[in-house]
Amino acid sequence: MSRTRRRAAGLVLAGAVVAGVAPRLAAAATTRPNAAQVARAESRLGGRTVPDIPVTLADGRRVQLADLWRDGPLLLTFYYRRCTGTCTPFLEWVRDAVQAAGGLGSDYHVLALTFDDSETTADLRAQAAALRLLATPDWDFAVAAQADVARVAAAVDFGYRLDPATLQYDHDSLLIGIDRGRVVRALFGTPEGNDRLRELVWELRGVFLPVYRVPGNTLLRCFRFDARSGRVRLDWGLFLLVLPGVGAICLALLMFAGAGPYRRVRLTGPGAAPTPGRQ
Amino acid sequence: MTTTRASSETLYWIAITFVLFPILTAVGIFLRTVQAGGLPGLQSWFYPLMTLHGVGMVGVWYVAAMAAVSDRLSRYVSPSPLMGRIALAGTLLGVALLLVCVFAGRFAAGWYFLYPLPFKGEWPQWAAVTFLLAMTVLGATWLLWSLDLLRAIAARYSLSQALAWHYLAGRSEPELPPAVLITTVSLIAAVAALLSGVVLLVLFYVELLAGTASDPLLMKNLTFFFGHTLVNLTLYLGIALVYDLLPVYAGRPWKTNRIVATSWNCVLLIVLFAYFHHMYMDFVQPGALQAIGQIASYASAIPAAVVTIFGALLLTYRTRMRWNLGSTLIFLALAGWAIGGVGAVIDSTISANVRLHNTLWVPAHFHTYFLAGVVFMVIGYFYHRCQELTDLPENRSVQRLAVLLMVIGAYGFFAMFYLAGAYSVPRRYAIYPAELAFGAKYAGAAAAFAATFLLGFILYLAETGKRWLRVVRPGQ
Repeated sequence: MSRTRRRAAGLVLAGAVVAGVAPRLAAAATTRPNAAQVARAESRLGGRTVPDIPVTLADGRRVQLADLWRDGPLLLTFYYRRCTGTCTPFLEWVRDAVQAAGGLGSDYHVLALTFDDSETTADLRAQAAALRLLATPDWDFAVAAQADVARVAAAVDFGYRLDPATLQYDHDSLLIGIDRGRVVRALFGTPEGNDRLRELVWELRGVFLPVYRVPGNTLLRCFRFDARSGRVRLDWGLFLLVLPGVGAICLALLMFAGAGPYRRVRLTGPGAAPTPGRQ
Repeated sequence: MTTTRASSETLYWIAITFVLFPILTAVGIFLRTVQAGGLPGLQSWFYPLMTLHGVGMVGVWYVAAMAAVSDRLSRYVSPSPLMGRIALAGTLLGVALLLVCVFAGRFAAGWYFLYPLPFKGEWPQWAAVTFLLAMTVLGATWLLWSLDLLRAIAARYSLSQALAWHYLAGRSEPELPPAVLITTVSLIAAVAALLSGVVLLVLFYVELLAGTASDPLLMKNLTFFFGHTLVNLTLYLGIALVYDLLPVYAGRPWKTNRIVATSWNCVLLIVLFAYFHHMYMDFVQPGALQAIGQIASYASAIPAAVVTIFGALLLTYRTRMRWNLGSTLIFLALAGWAIGGVGAVIDSTISANVRLHNTLWVPAHFHTYFLAGVVFMVIGYFYHRCQELTDLPENRSVQRLAVLLMVIGAYGFFAMFYLAGAYSVPRRYAIYPAELAFGAKYAGAAAAFAATFLLGFILYLAETGKRWLRVVRPGQ
């Protein structure tokens, strides 16, 4: 390649790098915060106290929330029956994910609390029947006074707002693990896959999880929590931690081995003598 | 005693150190003054200047120690003069980039720019990019420099000889100067640390260019593998000088033996794992690595320190030691290493770290072994070198006063850090809230002690500077 061409190629490459960096910098500021906001919102809820409100269950019993979490951890979610959006798919996902995670009844039970106080116990049973959960003893559906639901929702940052035009609620999707009245972990939205719910279930079982959520796609991680087995496993990122040490040893071996044939002074006597000519 | 001619690069490095160190010390005094409640109009400069002070001090003393060791080792091996010039040019370019990002961009992510802080601060993105470029230039330059010094050692010694393995096997021939052993150990570990820095920077650039986030745990591990290890090795390079210089003043040889060889091979095996003690508060780091961090912190520090300090005491015991500015500073440096080392070992003990983590105890211990350890070793060597080349008459009174002021200033300054740390005053607070108002009193006293140190250093500079000038301009 001629010198002129090399220069031109260099200029094009430098231009491409500059052109590539600028939009990335702008994009980095606008795309990542969404995932980060969710992670932050979830982590903010950890340890919060959930108000102990009276609720009416699908079988007509009136109990306190504390009665439900007294016997063991509680998985709480919000919905309303008339929802034409995410409520039913979300509840179906919770049902299936809980079944896949295991431990329902023995380690925790589930409460789906409607935030539409006009619903009756018949509506609750209809919702349970639609989800084929009517005969599942560790799944409860409940309704409570509007003010009480609002207290719980405020305590766990759950937002819902009635749209007068459509009479539909504009709302989030939220699943909260509660142990003895305190939030253990929260999941906003429908998590991709079931692993995050499995992690929540491990925490409800009292297992300390040495993992945290990293917003967006992560290139490499040091460790991975296997939510199925509940064990921490090494991940490929750890290779990057080993690489510098191994690289340094290899470089040293290569350098000393490569210099061997050219070694000018063979040390057969005292080696502390200064190099000839450098006194 | 044989005297080798100082290379022009060594003389440049001495000058650069003599210019940058007092400036960065003044920046340090500014930081403690702001913490004491002074200079309210300049408080917004606290974090950018804290970044400059941290990166600057770590960088200046790494290159100063490398330059001193290169110069001293040229008695035994032949480092490349070209590489010396490249190291000088690369370092100056890196420093220029650093100054731009701090003063023009107000980059303030601290000296170890913990991920993802460089991307999250209030400074413009170009400042973060400039900082990363500065780190890239400095890291690449120092990696090449370290590899060249290793090459020079390899040109004379085999790896087993350079690591003194024949002493471990019970043979003492060929004789290996301890400085060569310690430098080989330090450089192999330095290459690992600098490669870790390369991986870290590549991950930063991947995020910058492709938007792919990194695992914060991985990034923190890489950061401390790079930063902690490099700081540790700066100290070890200084100790290589001590092993080579103290015998000159004591009139007794200090030779490699099986104990010295064992302790420094332990360092090579273990020093790369010591940084785990920076991760004690990271709950996601598996417990086994935390335990390794504590064991490695003890094992990488204690054998080498005990062997070296006892060796130095035995070397100087009942000998006609020739005390001057150089030998006094080098001897005192061992005390700084020991005292700072005890502070470090306490902090690396998990049960103590729970209390001391991110308090002023942390800067207390690293300032002790850096300022009263590395700095004393290297400036002691620089004085020794300039005196060796000029043989000017020594003014003992001025030299004693310089040492006295530096010691009182340094240890008073450290004491304020230790006391405040023991009372749980957190580090990196520009202004203390009402609950920690007593931290401001310690900061004020520390600023006064640091100024005393600076006064002593200026006297040192007058003594060494005139010798340096005589070397540079022999006719004057």
